[in-house]
Amino acid sequence: MWLWFSKLGSPKWFYDLSGKWLPWLIGAMVIFLTVGIVWALLFLPPDYQQGHTSRILIIHVAVAGTSLVFFPLMAVAGVITMVWRMKLADMVAKNAAPIGAWFSFLTLATGSIWGSVSWGTWWEWTDARLVTMLFQFFLLLGVISLRSALEDPDKAAKACALLSIVGLINVIAIKYSVEFWNTLHQVSSSVSFSSDSPNGPEFLIAIIIMLIAVYLFLSVCLIMATRNEILQRERRSQWVQNLVRLS
Amino acid sequence: MAAEQTSTLTAFYATLKRDLLIAFKRKNDVVNPFMFFVIVVSLFPIGISPESDRLSEIAAGVIWISVLLASMLSMDNLYRADYEDGSLEQLLLSPHPLFFMVLAKNLSHWLVSGLPVVLVSPLLAYMLNLPEEAYTTLFCSLLIGTPIMSLVGSIAVALTVGLGSRGLILAVITLPMSVPVLIFGTLSVQATLNAASPIGLLAIMLAMLAVAVSLAPLASAAALRISVN
Repeated sequence: MWLWFSKLGSPKWFYDLSGKWLPWLIGAMVIFLTVGIVWALLFLPPDYQQGHTSRILIIHVAVAGTSLVFFPLMAVAGVITMVWRMKLADMVAKNAAPIGAWFSFLTLATGSIWGSVSWGTWWEWTDARLVTMLFQFFLLLGVISLRSALEDPDKAAKACALLSIVGLINVIAIKYSVEFWNTLHQVSSSVSFSSDSPNGPEFLIAIIIMLIAVYLFLSVCLIMATRNEILQRERRSQWVQNLVRLS
Repeated sequence: MAAEQTSTLTAFYATLKRDLLIAFKRKNDVVNPFMFFVIVVSLFPIGISPESDRLSEIAAGVIWISVLLASMLSMDNLYRADYEDGSLEQLLLSPHPLFFMVLAKNLSHWLVSGLPVVLVSPLLAYMLNLPEEAYTTLFCSLLIGTPIMSLVGSIAVALTVGLGSRGLILAVITLPMSVPVLIFGTLSVQATLNAASPIGLLAIMLAMLAVAVSLAPLASAAALRISVN
């Protein structure tokens, strides 16, 4: 098992393996995305209360579910960077931060658009999920700006690893305190998902398909960005130069 | 070596005393954050409304956010001077656990920049027309909350200590992290105003302080080791 672990840490091995996986992943992503989007936007029966606006929700829920992965992912990569000094973990963490920030932003944006129709407002401070997502977005921007401020890549790797671990603890603390804050302020009755429940299974299946699609999209983005990073950081090594000469 | 014979407690007091001495010799560093706090608070009535009813509604939040900004600004000289003159490296090389050295530095920073702000807060609360029954709660919540902010901010300062121009990066990292403290601090004041007991909320803040005291110096120490090598 440890051999496998140390092998995974080698950028070349990851580059070769991910090169084999990537076409399959992209293929699956295209299939799921097409099925998910076409079904959600064209064929899903409109919600009896929300009408066609409920279609936004399918994309929104999928993106929101995915954007929760980033801080745990970066924290785990951070622990691996700090404990085993594995370069690959840092390359993944580095590229996860901007993608995570973008996903958080998309979650906020799609949520706002849906909310503007369903709740009658673009922004609602009384909803704990909105506020938590906003601060997760800010914390991710903090990690990105720390990364770009530190010039020494080794130092930046460790500093961002530490900040990601601290950030994960903080996101959890923010989540619970914001929920606590909201239960004391009164939550308006329109802010609940209960109106979705009588929608039957089609809605749930569409969300699951979309969730898988967005996860695949995220993996493809992350793997491609990491491959780029590997080529850039290992540009002096023999195998990268051979690769460039061949192509 | 003499250093190996001194106990960690002696080293803790020595670091604390040294930092306090330095702070009182450079009065600017002590006075400026304090003045900043007082000035920011007095800008709010001008910017929002001089009516006492509206002011009393926002008083707790205004004071809490101003304290947050002041403590963040004063953070900047927590490790910087030591980093520049090399004494931070000596601290890292010392045989004593860095945890307690960081804790001593945080404590002295709080005594110098956090405590004065807490002490003056009832006066500013009076100027903002906060109802009288909330003074004690505001004072207590700030007394518990400011050390948490110092401890958490210290992590971000330690991470950025080597940077030539860090500008606003400290704010971008620290401010989102202070959301939980801000929520419980202002909630406890609100609870008092609604004639409810703030004890539970203050207890949660105390728990947060306990977690911060035990974990944050650990992260700060790790961050210092990353920044200084």
